[in-house]
Amino acid sequence: MKKNKSILLSTPYILWMLIFTLIPLGVVGYYALTDPETGVFTWGNIRDLWLFAPTLGISVWYSLVSALICLLLGYPVAYYIAHRGATAQKILYMLVMLPMCMSFLLRTLAWVGLLETNGIINQFLNALGIRSLNMIGTPGAVILGMVYNYLPYMILPLYAIIVKIDSRLIEAAEDLGCTPVQVFSRVVLPLSMPGILSGITMVFVPAVSTFYISQKLGGTDTMLIGDVIERQFKSAGNPNLGAALSLVLMLLVFVCTGIMNRFGSDEEGGVVV
Amino acid sequence: MKKTNRLFTVLIFIFLYIPMAVLIVGSFNTGKNLAVFEGFTLNQYRELFRDQDLLALLGNSLLIAILSTAIATAFGTLSAVGIYRMKPKLRKAVMSLTNIPMTNPDIVTGISLSLLFVFIGTGLLGQRQSLNFWTLLLAHITFNLPYVILNVMPKLQQMNPALQDAAMDLGCTPLQSFFKVTIHEIMPGIISGAIMAFTMSLDDFVISYFVTGSQFVTLPVKIYSFTKKPIHPKIYAMFTLLFLLIFVLMVTMNLLQLRGEKQKAEKRAKDESKAMRTFKRVAAAACAFILLLGSVLLIATTRQDKVTLNVMNWGQNIADGSDGTMDLIAAFEEAYPYIDVNYSEYASNEELYSKLSGGGLVVDLIIPSDYMIARMISEDMLLPLDFENIPNYENVIETYKNQAYDPENKYSVPYTWGTVGIIYNSKYVDEADVTGWELLWNEKYKGQILMFDNSRDAFGVAQYMLGLDVNTTDKAELQKCADVLSEQRPLVQQYVMDQVYSKMEEGNAWIAPYYAGDAMMMMENNEDLRFYLPEDQAFNLFIDAMCIPACCQEKEAAELFINFMCDPEISGANMDYICYGSPIAGADAYMEDYLAESEIIYPPEEILKRGQSYGFLPEEITRYVENLFLQVRLN
Repeated sequence: MKKNKSILLSTPYILWMLIFTLIPLGVVGYYALTDPETGVFTWGNIRDLWLFAPTLGISVWYSLVSALICLLLGYPVAYYIAHRGATAQKILYMLVMLPMCMSFLLRTLAWVGLLETNGIINQFLNALGIRSLNMIGTPGAVILGMVYNYLPYMILPLYAIIVKIDSRLIEAAEDLGCTPVQVFSRVVLPLSMPGILSGITMVFVPAVSTFYISQKLGGTDTMLIGDVIERQFKSAGNPNLGAALSLVLMLLVFVCTGIMNRFGSDEEGGVVV
Repeated sequence: MKKTNRLFTVLIFIFLYIPMAVLIVGSFNTGKNLAVFEGFTLNQYRELFRDQDLLALLGNSLLIAILSTAIATAFGTLSAVGIYRMKPKLRKAVMSLTNIPMTNPDIVTGISLSLLFVFIGTGLLGQRQSLNFWTLLLAHITFNLPYVILNVMPKLQQMNPALQDAAMDLGCTPLQSFFKVTIHEIMPGIISGAIMAFTMSLDDFVISYFVTGSQFVTLPVKIYSFTKKPIHPKIYAMFTLLFLLIFVLMVTMNLLQLRGEKQKAEKRAKDESKAMRTFKRVAAAACAFILLLGSVLLIATTRQDKVTLNVMNWGQNIADGSDGTMDLIAAFEEAYPYIDVNYSEYASNEELYSKLSGGGLVVDLIIPSDYMIARMISEDMLLPLDFENIPNYENVIETYKNQAYDPENKYSVPYTWGTVGIIYNSKYVDEADVTGWELLWNEKYKGQILMFDNSRDAFGVAQYMLGLDVNTTDKAELQKCADVLSEQRPLVQQYVMDQVYSKMEEGNAWIAPYYAGDAMMMMENNEDLRFYLPEDQAFNLFIDAMCIPACCQEKEAAELFINFMCDPEISGANMDYICYGSPIAGADAYMEDYLAESEIIYPPEEILKRGQSYGFLPEEITRYVENLFLQVRLN
């Protein structure tokens, strides 16, 4: 009786997810293996992929750097929030979440206004008698855009983990003679590992596939894999190559998150022991 | 240590909020440029509430977000209960299926869904409009479902299973026990899942961008197409209002939740559900508020049953009533009250081609350039016109009829003609350097040069500079052009299309090749800008013409539109805004004198002689050039 019900309740969902997540990936595979002009089977798109290896490398590099910067900036903030009173925690949490609800297109555009040659920052510098900096169009600007947009994705999971760390563990470590640095490196940091890993994943995945940030803040050297894919679909008229590239991107992300999860479970195991 | 950490946190919050402050300040600015505050005004807010189209877009976004959240919440909650009761092994498999849309990059999810919809809709069912409101809704439900499930599941696991059994022992049917017991226990999960789904759906850009058709567009997708040009500050006004709305909503939710928790602490055992009830009431009030807002917007913007004519045109390529020009779409709708024009834009011929060949769209009228018309004719993408419905065709000047791209003039009626030259900022560029296309390769201006971001125009510039044939099919010649473009790349600040406007007008780049009419528009906004056609070198002379694509569903209405545009008075009024040459006899009489006499719009005959048009290139060569250009961009 119970079992039948559960099948009745979950079958529509399983069907839905098969139709709208697995089968579409199959269609992507189909496009990746067919010729854009004739529609017949070909390895051509896959063979062309090596041309994009440097682009993929740049994308991975930028997003890893962004994820690391997010971690360095986000960890102290998450730690600080987790150690406030209940009300302050709520308010600060909300303030971190609020930017995520606002249009990321417009917020990125505001950075264009800030970083342009005649932009707000340079006007400010000129007023102080400092020469204008060349910021827009550099890799730094793209990474800044990534860090800015995805920093909340790092802070929130870190906070969720740090707030759960039992303060008695810290007290115990202190009682046993640990210095503050040792308390941090031996107790707090290992315990916040799951948050760190999920934060890195949550920053890395959207950053590696972005096309808007690099289009607006980047220059001629910062074309990312997301740009190339978007271009194949929206202006170059070659969805088949675009499909092949999306498959590569997806594989890359799955491998990366897989490695992260592996790390994560090992660490957890270590802590338990 | 604690103090530094506090200071650091404050700095990070400043970092997070500065761009938003920039936008909010921008909404009170009289000027368009975010970086220059010209004066305080509330006009942007007035403009915002006058803009029916913009409010309709917000309504679209809310409609999709509300519907998809409601469906995903109900569907997801029931599914979560089902999954919860599964055998552990099966549950694990289903949960990893649930995780796919969460881990997959948005761009992959968007692409895979759009390919699926086109594959099924157009490929299998033979439907023309396979990307529409329903596909967008399906996509949003799909990416919302995991949020609901992942929020509800933990609550189910925390619930004491004995509760349900107790309810059944007391005589509840399983259904009653679900609605009287289970649902109350998991309510916080349902609510937080729904809130997450709603915000994700409302602000989603990437997935919607790939899945949406031309008829039902959400706000973020439209904003993306806006941002190619200087964006109108009324958008910032909308941002400010949304920011305030979300801020107030979040604060009240938090406050009430806090108060609820306090009460809960006070009378813990006695009345545990009271806090829950307060919370629920707040959530319900918030939902009701959003629903109300959505329905008001919807009612305000619903249109009656009319013929919808989908026109797709270049960005800023029709007089829209701004700066004292005529609003031609409004004028057309007034002349033909039963026709409702749905107007959308593209930034390059290639983008238009991709949109049409990608399938899934209904477009009734397009305005591509010469070479693209030839390509579309050769691929059967255009319908022959019925000239009975276009009597004004006789107004077209003979020179612009029967052009090489459409020799018998069966598929197209000219809309504008113009040239491609170089626009530069005379404040920074030395007049002595202003000679030919070489200016774009001048080391002196490194980092201040913009270049075309479409293969045909970029290769055209290289071909004209090298003195090669623009319509060549010789791969060695094309390779030579690619080499020259690669040499130029280190000097280029950015490859752009419509973005050229803000870059040049705000002085953030100094030199760009672009279309003459657009250059005129930029010059009106920055008096330091100048435009020239290279001396002694060839340049592109183009015609943009109105055509009806094969996916058209309102051919007669489209022909009426073409006819309307061939009226000298209308064409003249149009040219007043877009600053191109009119192919319609007598149109100059209706143009402003300074435009009709401008040598940029109507260059003297001896210069015009050097103009060359792009012709048809075989599919294979087009693709070859496209790949070469991609390599230039990448390496």
